[in-house]
Amino acid sequence: MIYIHLFVEFFKIGLFSFGGGYATIPFLYHISQVYNWYSLDELTQMVAVASITPGPVGINVATYAGLKSAGILGSALATMAEMLPSLFLVIIVSKLLRKFSDNFYVKSIIETLKPISCALLTSVAIGLLVPDLKDIRALVLLAFLLIISWKSKKDPLFYIFIAAIAGVLLTVFQSL
Amino acid sequence: MSLFKLFLIFVKIGAVLLGGGYVILPIMNSEFVEKRSLVSHDDMIDYFALSQSLPGIIAANISMFVGYKLRGKWGAITAMLGVTFVPFWCIVLLASVLGALTQNSYVQGALWGVGVSVIALIMLTVREMWQKSNKNIYFYTIFVLTLATLLVFKLSPIQTILLFTIIGVLYKRFAEGVK
Repeated sequence: MIYIHLFVEFFKIGLFSFGGGYATIPFLYHISQVYNWYSLDELTQMVAVASITPGPVGINVATYAGLKSAGILGSALATMAEMLPSLFLVIIVSKLLRKFSDNFYVKSIIETLKPISCALLTSVAIGLLVPDLKDIRALVLLAFLLIISWKSKKDPLFYIFIAAIAGVLLTVFQSL
Repeated sequence: MSLFKLFLIFVKIGAVLLGGGYVILPIMNSEFVEKRSLVSHDDMIDYFALSQSLPGIIAANISMFVGYKLRGKWGAITAMLGVTFVPFWCIVLLASVLGALTQNSYVQGALWGVGVSVIALIMLTVREMWQKSNKNIYFYTIFVLTLATLLVFKLSPIQTILLFTIIGVLYKRFAEGVK
């Protein structure tokens, strides 16, 4: 049953992803390799759409991934499954509040999760970059986007918009 | 505050939320602290800090904290349903339109560019996480060990997280001790 797999996978994302919406990408990357629900190209497309529509990116991308995997019922299921662990944790933590953040183990876990999240996301960036290494146009565009953001990170919309225009212009030149 | 009213406030918050979790704090502040004085400013800051240290989506976490504070567990569930309401339908509608458009070669060109921009966005997120972290020997060691392991072995994200969290916490327990 795809619905059960979908629920379990997205429940796990809600329980283990740490550090904002983009931190869910390594999990979605892993899902695309294990199940045939969506391709890597579709994943980057989903991340882009999730970044330019209203709402939290991490939730939006779950909605989209669920939709790709099992239609509208799948998208509702993935969205809810991803938030369910948070619901339980918020209720528990609301009752403990200060005691929770002063606990030695909680502090140690949080301090350890930061470098792990960083490494997970770095490995995804490497994984996505490798197929593009042969494509000089992609490397130039990537370098350009990184250079213009060197001083400060701008809104995700800004990068997606500029890159989309660059892609359209390239298509126009190639067809000439 | 009725659950329905709470739902409507969170629908509005979900609809105006653009660009990731960190944008939500000023929006929540304006709705619940300034306009309605339902939550104190200090509580909101606490919820935001806790939302970042809990797993899951930051914006969803802080919404559920406020929902729980106002109306208990049904409040938390209402917040969860409210904040995702508009985003959910936006994605469903956009996805159905996008599917039909992808045959067009210009749209394919745009999507190629978008794919590259997502790599840039991920790299920038890594940089941001890196800048915001308290970088000490412990941070570097865990980062390098995790990345090296990921490059050599095919581990799932969850296996990676469990493995290195256990190693890290055991190290801290014995090297630094419980104070």
